[in-house]
Amino acid sequence: MPVMGDDGITVTIANESDIVTARQMGRALSEQVGFQGSDLTIIATAISEIARNIVTYAQRGEIVLRPVTANSRRGVVVVARDDGPGIPDIARAMQDGYSTGKTLGLGLPGARRLMDEFEIQSEVGVGTIVTMRKWLRR
Amino acid sequence: MADLDFSAHRQAVHLTDEDIARHKRFVGLEAADLPRIAAVRPIVMERVDELTTMFFDFLRGLDVATPLFRRGDLLDEAKRMKREHLIAMVGGVYDRAYVELQLELGLLYSKVGLDTRVFPGAFYHLMNTVGAIVMANAGDDPQKAFQNFMAVKKIGFLDIGLMIDIMAAEREQTISIQQEAIRELSTPVLQIRDGLLILPIIGTLDSFRAKQLTDSLLRAIRANRAKMVVMDITGVAAVDSRVANHLIQTVAASRLMGATVIVTGLSGDVAQALVSLGVDLGTLNTVGDLQGGLELAERRLGYRIARQADSSLETA
Repeated sequence: MPVMGDDGITVTIANESDIVTARQMGRALSEQVGFQGSDLTIIATAISEIARNIVTYAQRGEIVLRPVTANSRRGVVVVARDDGPGIPDIARAMQDGYSTGKTLGLGLPGARRLMDEFEIQSEVGVGTIVTMRKWLRR
Repeated sequence: MADLDFSAHRQAVHLTDEDIARHKRFVGLEAADLPRIAAVRPIVMERVDELTTMFFDFLRGLDVATPLFRRGDLLDEAKRMKREHLIAMVGGVYDRAYVELQLELGLLYSKVGLDTRVFPGAFYHLMNTVGAIVMANAGDDPQKAFQNFMAVKKIGFLDIGLMIDIMAAEREQTISIQQEAIRELSTPVLQIRDGLLILPIIGTLDSFRAKQLTDSLLRAIRANRAKMVVMDITGVAAVDSRVANHLIQTVAASRLMGATVIVTGLSGDVAQALVSLGVDLGTLNTVGDLQGGLELAERRLGYRIARQADSSLETA
């Protein structure tokens, strides 16, 4: 169940139905922030991609969704955190079509293209943190 | 329609030693409580029949409890088990066997359709009576008697905690069984003309459902000797790269079976997101809506659909 707190909405990701929850929550929050139309689908899709990576590679993790304001711009930030196996070669994982999990290999690079900002930190044996932001167009 | 009685699939709920230990921690049950409970034991044992009767008398006064009192045989069984439970409550051993007894009683209650929500109230009255009896027998040390009673009360709260766990586990089981049923029901493959199938997909396409859907589509293609399939995804809540991949693979497998798939109902928003993601949908035949997809499929199969000039709808 998603938990709402001062620092945003936290959705625990442990199976495929949690991906749907994270996606729906992200969409609802983005709508509150002021995003419309295809941007909502784009943010939801990006959340879906990184949530799916958690289920596929780390089995368990969480996604935190928060509204952000910086330099009078408004937007949403999505943080995906897991303590899974980590990614040995981030540069490669960010390439289109590279996958160790028999998928299209578009999750990380695709999510980066969908969002405005994308950061990834990963350490083998420790876990992975993906932070992505999308800003409202003025 | 499938039989919607899930009781056959239901598995008995079991709590582990760890669950029990956790509940003991919640109520703060400790070794020092055991001699206190032991001190109350003879007082309760002496009146165990009286307390059992009282518990059921309280239930009898509630409308929601009438189902139990209509079943004489089960009522006697419930009374016997409740008596046993009361004895166990002051028995000093709270292990899995103790929980099993409660589970059995709970199973019996649910068999007669008794709402478990009435029990905290009934339980409260029971504990009140036990408290009154303990205090009446306090002699010259009421403080000690109170302490003893509070130790027994911890067992009461332990029971309620366990009951909540059991109810939650049962509820979750129901949900997962129903989810399964929904999955089964929601992937129909329909033949609408010779050689033409439609596959309306509604809801969330997870890996499990995608596989099931591919299986049933490939079976239907063979059984109906289908040449064209219209797959409508208007009702799919979310399309990401994994879902797109499932669709692409289903289409490729269908092609190997000799059928061409037309995908309809891809919304503009989803199309944009998929292009940004980098999904190559070039291998898919897409048509905007279901109607357009059906028309194209019919044309490909050589059907010509024409409206008759004297159609009654025309003049209506």
